[in-house]
Amino acid sequence: MTPSPVFLPLRELAALVRARRVSPVALTEQFLERLETLGPRYNAVVTVTRERALREARRAETEIAAGGWRGPLHGIPYGAKDLLATTGGIPTTWGAAPRRGQTFDVDATVIRRLEAAGAVLAAKLAMVELAGGAGYRQPRAAFTGPGRSPWGEDAWSGGSSSGSAAAVAAGLVPFALGSETWGSIVSPAANCGVAGLRPTLGRVSRHGAMALSWSLDKIGPLGITADDCGLVLEAIAGPDPLDPSAENRPFRYEADDPPGRRFRFGVLRAAAEAADADVRARFEEALDVLRALGTVEDVTLPALPYEAITRTILFAEAASAFEDLVESGAVAELTAPEDRYLLYARDAILAKDYIKALRLRAVVAREVDRILAGLDAFVAPGRFAVASGLDEPFRSAFGGTVLDPTGAIGNAAGLPAVAVPDGFGDRGLPTSLQFVGRAFGENTILAAARAYQARTDWHRRHPAVG
Amino acid sequence: MGAMPTEDSPVSQPARSEAELLFALVRDRYGNRLTSEELAAVRTAVEAIVEAARALRAVRLDNADGPLLPVRPDVPRQP
Repeated sequence: MTPSPVFLPLRELAALVRARRVSPVALTEQFLERLETLGPRYNAVVTVTRERALREARRAETEIAAGGWRGPLHGIPYGAKDLLATTGGIPTTWGAAPRRGQTFDVDATVIRRLEAAGAVLAAKLAMVELAGGAGYRQPRAAFTGPGRSPWGEDAWSGGSSSGSAAAVAAGLVPFALGSETWGSIVSPAANCGVAGLRPTLGRVSRHGAMALSWSLDKIGPLGITADDCGLVLEAIAGPDPLDPSAENRPFRYEADDPPGRRFRFGVLRAAAEAADADVRARFEEALDVLRALGTVEDVTLPALPYEAITRTILFAEAASAFEDLVESGAVAELTAPEDRYLLYARDAILAKDYIKALRLRAVVAREVDRILAGLDAFVAPGRFAVASGLDEPFRSAFGGTVLDPTGAIGNAAGLPAVAVPDGFGDRGLPTSLQFVGRAFGENTILAAARAYQARTDWHRRHPAVG
Repeated sequence: MGAMPTEDSPVSQPARSEAELLFALVRDRYGNRLTSEELAAVRTAVEAIVEAARALRAVRLDNADGPLLPVRPDVPRQP
């Protein structure tokens, strides 16, 4: 009997497709129906790309029937955060009402690469407006409504890749693309209990993606497992003549773990101590699992204003990226009331202070790399708290109301991180564990996350979504 | 770990003076679009920006400590 494809890790799903036990067209039809019927429940979807999806699925089916299997994403549906440009009149809204009808005549490089890998674009997924770049402080900051986590009626899915995480968690797509400037993959992955990979800055081309902060933006995958993220990263990574910021480093995903591999983990105590009690408890349990995989030691970083560094860079670059929205007054059309005026304050950032932040960021990168040279990964809670309620002003490092040294450091230094679920906290909502690695060390952190997931079953638990 | 300025942080007098000057700039540019409540929120946001800037300025760097800023002379080619 063929298992249900919903919630299957990509490797298992790909085996069914390759063996022709599951038809790409039937698979696509099934996920399109879930996107159309269940997507609105979570405010996860902006546009279901039915026509394009069925065209790509039919092509995959024909190729596979002829013996032409392209790889593990061939014939597999996915969703893309709605800041990735798509052709064919499919809108790319950036989650923002003033850009609701926006279309492009190019596909983003990551979309083209997934098409080349045989994947099937089934939906453009909801996101916080402008990827949170206007300074939102509560979940109702998208014209599609607040993202809902499938784990709780009133729980926020996180942001800004809200729909990408919720769609994977609810089994609306097998995997999704998101983006992170500061927290926008790791945080929703945590809120929705899925895996999310933030690649190294420059690992993945950003051609065709909305810019929020040119020196911080990264595009990465969300999936059921860390292994899923590795498979997708291999398909989207690599140099791109259309994006000079994409590094000339081809990426080959190495998933064959040597038996008994031992890891060296460093714990950023400041990050763990900033977390809520329920999150800390799950984190300590996760550390017990990691101790069976290698060594775990506390590490201390130099005293630097990490959050101020990352926030100053982000705010200054966002002020320039959205200059047209500010100058035209179109910010008044944004959904969150605070997004309609907070961008104006960014004019107060002085060029000298922005440059100082960029200089300090080099110090951060150097110091963190020095410590990571003796480790395989830093580990920390994926998020300091479980998902907030839909009507709660949330605490965020982005907004300056909580400490997030792991996110501030990792994003300032451009380091990769993978978040995986590590249990459940208050209100039965998921908690998360993140592994942060050296620049271009994705294979190492993915190996560590796979080893953790091989000893735990949190990724096999799914919300009851119908 | 450096202290992180937040909207609830006490703002020092020099920071408040700087924030007032920068807020005046913002108000001059955009004040006619904003309500008094929104202007008050913008003022608070400017104070947080100034506090963050002061935290950055408090760290001493050497002349050789340049920015981590990739500059590529090769421009992207169109498809």
